[in-house]
Amino acid sequence: MSRARLLRLYPRAWRDRYGQEFLAAFDTGPLGAQEVIDIVSGAIDAWLSSDVRQTTMARHVIAAGGKSMALKAILACERKQPGVTIRDGLIGAGVMVGIALLFKAVGLAATRAGLPQATAVLNGLAFPAEFTLSMPFWLMKGQPWKAQAAIVGTTFTVLVWIGLSTGH
Amino acid sequence: MKHRDDVLADLGRFSEPALYILISLADGPKHGYAMTQDIEAVTGQKLGPGTLYGAIARLEARKWIEPLPADDRRRPYRLTGAGLRVLRHRLQNLHALARVGRLRLAEG
Repeated sequence: MSRARLLRLYPRAWRDRYGQEFLAAFDTGPLGAQEVIDIVSGAIDAWLSSDVRQTTMARHVIAAGGKSMALKAILACERKQPGVTIRDGLIGAGVMVGIALLFKAVGLAATRAGLPQATAVLNGLAFPAEFTLSMPFWLMKGQPWKAQAAIVGTTFTVLVWIGLSTGH
Repeated sequence: MKHRDDVLADLGRFSEPALYILISLADGPKHGYAMTQDIEAVTGQKLGPGTLYGAIARLEARKWIEPLPADDRRRPYRLTGAGLRVLRHRLQNLHALARVGRLRLAEG
């Protein structure tokens, strides 16, 4: 295991922005368990933190000559991100649990109806669907409803399409 | 409007590494490796890469530090005016806190 391999855990935009200097600063000496944990938790943070995405995505927009409307829209949402309270987090978690139970119930019904392929699709879709549909309650809190509908709707449609086309 | 005391605390688990980075950059621009060496010498703590760049990204997002042109693969950062104000205020508060602590220790 090397630092360069662990770097692949980070989003592409993050690697483009910080990858070279990360390796220049740290790619020396043996890699200890504590450093592995730090790098992996940094990767999780890079995927989830709106601050980190804002910094790294901004570079991508500049690199693309500012032509990417999708990136601009995402950045506009990121900059308006209000504080997410514990209540918002609990509501988001509740939505995720509710949707997980709904998918499980529909999956059981599909199994009883003799539709194993539908059950497999529902099981595969459950987590991405519950995560995506919970986003308006925390990750996208306070964003214009049109932006929420576009991002959640498009993501959900793509997930369903992938699920149906791959059969799981 | 939030008091400046709160702005570093908003960074959660990155607030302490962010403070160390601001202190490290207070005497001039440094790249990541130089920052970790400096911070280790001053505080005794070695920041891991995930922590260091998590904090750097947050400081950049708030425009408290800014990158300079890369020197080979190493990119130096420097403190901005806003970063300097945040650092000054935080250090003043820490100084006041330390004074109260010392006074109470002396009384006890």
